[in-house]
Amino acid sequence: MIYEKPVFKPGGDRYMLIELGDELNLALNFTANGLADAITQSRMKAVVESAPCFASLLVHYDPDLIGFADLKREMLTMIDALGPSDDIELPSRLFYFPTCYLDPWTKACVEDYSAKITPKTWDPAYVAEINGLSGPAQFVRVHSGTEYWVASLGFWPGLPFLMPLDPRSRLTAPKYNPPRTWTPQGTVGMGGAASAIYPVATPGGYQIFARTPVPIWDTERRFPEFERSICLFKPGDRIKFVPCSVEEFNEVEAEVAAGTYVYNVVGYQKFSVRQYKDWLATIDAGKRL
Amino acid sequence: MIDVIIAGLETSVQDYPGRIGFWNQGFPPSGPFDSWSFRLANLLVGNAVGAAGLECQYMGPTLRFAEAAVIAVTGADMTPTLDGTPVPLWQSIPVTAGQVLKMGPAKSGTRAYVAIAGGIDTAPWLGSRSTFHKAGVGGLSGSALKKDSRIPVAYTAGTPGRSVKPECRPAFSTTKQWQIEVVPGPDDDWIDAAGQERFLTSDWKLSGKSDRTGFRLDGPQWTFTSKAYDKRPENGSEPSNIIDHGYPLGAINLAGQTPIILVSDGPSMGGFINPYTVPSAAFWKLGQSRPGDIYRFKAVSVDEAQALRRQQDALCSEASIV
Amino acid sequence: MSERVETQVPGNMWKVLVKAGDIVKAGDTLFIMEVMKTEVPHVAGIDGTVTDVRITEGEEGLEAGIVAVVIA
Repeated sequence: MIYEKPVFKPGGDRYMLIELGDELNLALNFTANGLADAITQSRMKAVVESAPCFASLLVHYDPDLIGFADLKREMLTMIDALGPSDDIELPSRLFYFPTCYLDPWTKACVEDYSAKITPKTWDPAYVAEINGLSGPAQFVRVHSGTEYWVASLGFWPGLPFLMPLDPRSRLTAPKYNPPRTWTPQGTVGMGGAASAIYPVATPGGYQIFARTPVPIWDTERRFPEFERSICLFKPGDRIKFVPCSVEEFNEVEAEVAAGTYVYNVVGYQKFSVRQYKDWLATIDAGKRL
Repeated sequence: MIDVIIAGLETSVQDYPGRIGFWNQGFPPSGPFDSWSFRLANLLVGNAVGAAGLECQYMGPTLRFAEAAVIAVTGADMTPTLDGTPVPLWQSIPVTAGQVLKMGPAKSGTRAYVAIAGGIDTAPWLGSRSTFHKAGVGGLSGSALKKDSRIPVAYTAGTPGRSVKPECRPAFSTTKQWQIEVVPGPDDDWIDAAGQERFLTSDWKLSGKSDRTGFRLDGPQWTFTSKAYDKRPENGSEPSNIIDHGYPLGAINLAGQTPIILVSDGPSMGGFINPYTVPSAAFWKLGQSRPGDIYRFKAVSVDEAQALRRQQDALCSEASIV
Repeated sequence: MSERVETQVPGNMWKVLVKAGDIVKAGDTLFIMEVMKTEVPHVAGIDGTVTDVRITEGEEGLEAGIVAVVIA
């Protein structure tokens, strides 16, 4: 549901969560990112920073400069001023990432969890089953068959939250309960209906099923893509996971270690919400690829 | 320079309020867990409250001061000694070149703070000297102190013999029980009335599986309203799953049935609900409690939480020093 | 001479490496605790024989300052 009016909730003494809806809908993410942008442009001193997510925006404010009620009024005014999300066009980089699906590393991680925490069906088999797919092979075709939209970054520095642009690749999966205590670096996973890439070996709760050797986080800034930041992605980027073999994974990993890897990024495109919606109307969203 | 002879359990460079402005890239603020004790240490040596100092956890370091300095130790009692002679907490003390400060296991509280007049002078990273060692950023080479490392200091003159009035210091619990303020929300509407009452009237034990990323609590079950069940599938199928959203610092994050208080080095967003949030004024209690301690939560309003923080800020001032 | 070796931190008893009757030298690791996912080894301060081991491997939630091992 897209809320008619945003919902404002307090987070302790310094945070406000603005909820725009409770579904995965690109329009909500455009509004969240648009509002974050508008706040930055306004240079409001009372707002320390904001962090957009799928359908919400977290605002960190200074209670010495503004109260919760006044901040709510300001935010409502800004949201109204944004206008309809259909009009939005954003420059959007597209990254191709060689990705080893059904890889041995995430499999070993799941086996470790099964042995030490609680038994678990291998994640690709589990996600295939609960989404009515024929098995891990179809799961790979479906998951890799779409571009993913970087809706936000977080949970871990530089970790991108990804929404499938093609509704025929929509899948859902519950998260681990309890969460894992570790995940291999470069793991691709999903939880709820979002996918993510783990920039380093952190704990986590997503179902895991693939691994990419391409760094999305680089404190040494060895590659030109990290010139401005140690995080590769920005909200509004897109990613295409390109299935590859273990051998190809190892080759790319060696190139990365040697510093010779060249990122495969398409930098000349703009993403148009209106054109995207027109295309959505032409496809049968209920039919799996 | 300060030479690290013994590193201690996890000693790190921190500044206050930490690394701010990068929440949207997933960087937590880090910074000192008990910022009340930290700021007073800085004031004692004549620094701005936010200057970089050391946070010591559970077992303190042994440090040799290559140059003369004025320092102060606050927070947990790690029985600090200078060349073997005990030195008082909550007071600025002179150190001569070559003297060795030894800090042992915490006898009360958990985290102690060492401030040096002039402040620690490591290279700031994204605007802060605070260490986020899990991601290898900030502090001394992005990690907790290591044996034989050297800590640069931008020495200035300080005045020894200044002390914090006893009534202006945080008073640690002596009963292993703590009352922790919480502001209901953002997602308190996902917990049913019985669940809310259970949360606010039960004992919650701080688990040993706790550190600067999160404080895990052991306690009774949570029960939910229809919001947790009647939701679109993309929210996830467990009652405490929600479409990924931003996490306020201090949120009590409900991973399944396990509440984890998200603290200084914690995640900035994720897919679990946050029914309650610990406000900034109560963070020092979290920072000084130990595994096995019992928390009882007290609901306060946003206004009350903000007033508590203002009161605490007022105590972190020259008015508290004699 | 004897030594009462106390726990230095509150936490879990990750490994117990001695039992009553074992002969130990100063510096030998007697037990390893775990707190904040960090190992904290506890060593003998004197040479002697372990007379009493009051902790068990796997115990959780121990307090700091309790007598864990006695050496005589």
